[in-house]
Amino acid sequence: MIPLRLAIRDLRGGLAGLRLLAICLFLGVLALAGVGSLSAAIIASLAGRGQEILGGDVQLVVAQREATAPELAAFEREGRVSRVTRLRAMAARPDGAESVLVELKGVDEAWPLFGSFRVRGSRPRGAQVAVAPELAERLGRRPGETIRIGSAELRIVALIAEEPDRVGQGFTLGSTVLVDRDGLAATALVQPGSLYTSAYRLQLPPGRDPAKVAERLRKRFGAAGFQVQDRTDGAPGTRRFIERLGQFLTLVGLAALVVAGIGVGNGVASYLDGKRATIATLKLLGATSRILFLSYLFQVGLVALAATAAGLAAGALVPAAVAAVAGDSLPVPPRLAFYWAPLLASAAYGLLIAAVFALAPLARARNVPAASLFRGDLEPSRRPGRAVVLIVLAAAAAIAGLAVGTAREPAFAAGFIGSALGLLLLLTLLGGLIRWTASRLPRPKHPVFRIALANLHRPGAQTGRLVVALGLGLTLFTALAAIETNLAGQIRSVIPARAPSFFLLDIPVEEIGRFRTLVRRAAPGGDLVTIPSLRGSVVAIAGRRVADMAEIPPDAWFLRGDRGLTYSAALPEGSRIVAGRWWPTDYRGPPLVSLDVAAARSVGLEVGDSITVSVLGREIEARIGSLREIDWDTMGFNFVIVFAPGTLESAPHSFMATIAMPEAQERPFARAVSRAFPQVSAIRVKEVVETIGSMLAQLAVAVSAAASVAILAGIAVLVGALAASRRARTYDSVVLKMLGATRLRILAAQAAEFAALALAVSLVALGLGSAAGWWVVVRIFELDWAPDWGVVAATLALGALVTLVLGLLGSLPALTARPARALRAL
Amino acid sequence: MTGSYVIDASNVTLALGSGAGRVEILRGVGLQVASGESVALLGPSGSGKSSLMAVLSGLERATGGEIRIADADFTTLGEDDLARARQGRIGIILQAFHLLPTMTALENVAVPLELAGREGAFDLARAELEAVGLGHRLTHYPAQLSGGEQQRVAIARATAPRPALLFADEPTGNLDAATGAAILDLLFERQRGTGATLLVITHDPALAARCGRVLEMQDGRIVRDSAA
Repeated sequence: MIPLRLAIRDLRGGLAGLRLLAICLFLGVLALAGVGSLSAAIIASLAGRGQEILGGDVQLVVAQREATAPELAAFEREGRVSRVTRLRAMAARPDGAESVLVELKGVDEAWPLFGSFRVRGSRPRGAQVAVAPELAERLGRRPGETIRIGSAELRIVALIAEEPDRVGQGFTLGSTVLVDRDGLAATALVQPGSLYTSAYRLQLPPGRDPAKVAERLRKRFGAAGFQVQDRTDGAPGTRRFIERLGQFLTLVGLAALVVAGIGVGNGVASYLDGKRATIATLKLLGATSRILFLSYLFQVGLVALAATAAGLAAGALVPAAVAAVAGDSLPVPPRLAFYWAPLLASAAYGLLIAAVFALAPLARARNVPAASLFRGDLEPSRRPGRAVVLIVLAAAAAIAGLAVGTAREPAFAAGFIGSALGLLLLLTLLGGLIRWTASRLPRPKHPVFRIALANLHRPGAQTGRLVVALGLGLTLFTALAAIETNLAGQIRSVIPARAPSFFLLDIPVEEIGRFRTLVRRAAPGGDLVTIPSLRGSVVAIAGRRVADMAEIPPDAWFLRGDRGLTYSAALPEGSRIVAGRWWPTDYRGPPLVSLDVAAARSVGLEVGDSITVSVLGREIEARIGSLREIDWDTMGFNFVIVFAPGTLESAPHSFMATIAMPEAQERPFARAVSRAFPQVSAIRVKEVVETIGSMLAQLAVAVSAAASVAILAGIAVLVGALAASRRARTYDSVVLKMLGATRLRILAAQAAEFAALALAVSLVALGLGSAAGWWVVVRIFELDWAPDWGVVAATLALGALVTLVLGLLGSLPALTARPARALRAL
Repeated sequence: MTGSYVIDASNVTLALGSGAGRVEILRGVGLQVASGESVALLGPSGSGKSSLMAVLSGLERATGGEIRIADADFTTLGEDDLARARQGRIGIILQAFHLLPTMTALENVAVPLELAGREGAFDLARAELEAVGLGHRLTHYPAQLSGGEQQRVAIARATAPRPALLFADEPTGNLDAATGAAILDLLFERQRGTGATLLVITHDPALAARCGRVLEMQDGRIVRDSAA
């Protein structure tokens, strides 16, 4: 096999020329394989631990009530039952000096049905409690000491090390406090109307299909307000989030791989450029272009395979590395294993990208004329043949097909790929425009600057490649800066100037008067708003049972799970009626509701339609009297469903309140409420915002990590493009030196060239990067668009400066070449 | 035209570039060279010597005219067919040697034999290198050889497949006088030994004098033919 033999002999010259190809492909494949493996490992962990995460094979959850005796009997007929009651509560030092919002969890003896509850200490019984270590620390309490929750004083007997069903509970504001049924009863917090949930976890006999049991229970008890889940999807919210984030990061990785692909193309082109003499000589000796093409295909293929394999190996280790570094901030510890599907997909992406970008230079190289040995190599390379163009197009189509075909949201992936292609096309056109403009500008008088201008458009100029590489890199810089400053800004801007200091939950209806008195005393001048609060789930809309709907539209989140309900005589602050009319303040007619207009539109509800809500097991059918537009940013009480007076007052319920006060009053106020109303939960807004802030920060870290690979690839591309033009630059600088130009002058000319390039590309990158950032922020994260333009501009300027410096550094070897020696070698 | 000529070219033209930048390099060259002849091609720089050689050796396609080389019609062949036509038929020696830097002397000489699909390519290559006095340098890379040695490898590479035609473009241009003289001795010796026809481009009257026939080119035409 002659091509293989020639390839092996040629490779003796070393692989240094293919370093750029190897680095770019390694980085790109690493990004994809890493993201893919990590999300697969987390999803596998979620799926594999479905019983533990859910707490059972099947779980039924109902709000604000316990299951009735017949319901419980029906559950027990299916299998072993464990009951878990959860609610928010305040845990306080007995002296009331410090109180903290916690997630109180009352469990029975059967809990946990799956997984193990690991504690330092013993399992709490009666007036005992197990607490999360961070809570003990915050309250300054040690095991053996007591804390107060509701009406009970409970002794800490254990610090919780592992709570098997923690992930399935989703996002919670407070850390866990665990008591048994007796302990829970002692707190006296579970009262009619208080906001708690009761979960019934079932352990099914072996061989029973949990999905079928769940379906049957859903049909039978869904109308009574029970949400039914089975173990196959124990933490659907977490899974959806990980899948969506994983997909987004995969696309960022793919973008990185496309940037890397340009490096691959440049790397192969400059490697083959260095081989022109060899290629011509082999042709002179009788080698056909097919033999040469195959020989270099072997070499490039070998390096591409090795780089892809290295990228895959490193990517496969990412879950372990992330688990080691950021174990606690992950929703579940990744299940460490080799995940072949993402690795195979990454390998396919890597090799297809290599094919797309390497085939064209390979095809051009086969066309190097043997006569170039006699006559320099200024003759422009012929275009690749039709077969090569077709193969490249097929490989590109395969990449797009793979990305779209494996995406959870194909339209999203297709949009992303379309945008990436558009960006590449735009940058290619820009490169052409710069060359065209440079060739038509009047010639500068000074020969050094004439050369700088000529560098932009002369035959063999790297302008096109540099513009694409720089453009992608700077666009990414800009988009990232916009996204990151937006996330950071979001944290600050979500707190409106007059945001409340506290949300207060579970104020008993009969105590509301006493509560108002306390507030007037403890926070004089505080802006208090109280509102009745219940929980309920929508079971039917316009006569259609929600349980019978084949698919719930993604925006119709108000149909899933139980929602907060309230009643009000007056239109709530921050709402505006957009359809129908608000009811009179003294309304006493049949049940009427006012609905959020976005929620209504998501399922086509209009004024006059009916909506049935299950409250504490009783179904209430109401007519939609009006649709409201809600300003969610006010951070006040915003309810999707508001009832007219006269329907809900008789149901057991409690009040919620917001109160705004100067920050100095906050701690004494919390202490006073905790002492006087142990059953009331006080959520400090500042803490919520901090929690959300740290979650957004983690998101930003994930995005940056994936994108930094793209930036590294961009830098590699830039360096590679400069290396490719080094021969021409060395020649120029040597000849200029021979003619008397100083190094400083030559450097100035090159600085002028790079500065012109960086300026043009920066302007385009600002536009394109902002558009990309807007898309990610508004369309993917569904946040408001408010980037810090100062930081964005500074980042872009820094990127352009880095380009300039890298460009000049890249020119240094050409500049330091000794004329005599270089002229001999050229 | 008759079959007894190894080179049989008539009215050969070559133009490069297009439009205003079009340059006529060869302007109707006619040349017949019989088997076993040695021909020197003289002429000032830019007269078209190297281009004529490139066209006759199939490295460049003529713009017009007819060329038959060792019974193959070079005017109708595409680039790859020309490469195949060179295999075993034509050996080329260049001023700058153009050895393949990543291959040993032995491999450099074996490549044309391998490309031509010859059995025992390495044995033939070894014998040829021994014939040019480099039997002790078989595993050396070009960078480890002197200029004279590199040109000897190039001569061995050109003659190893026993071509009907040997082209040499200023084969001693990069060498000192003594080494150059030794290389010329070797070149003529190998030509005689293999019975090949030799066409050599040179500025050196002494080299021209050793050839049986001398051609002189000017402005893309042959203006003098000592055989005529």
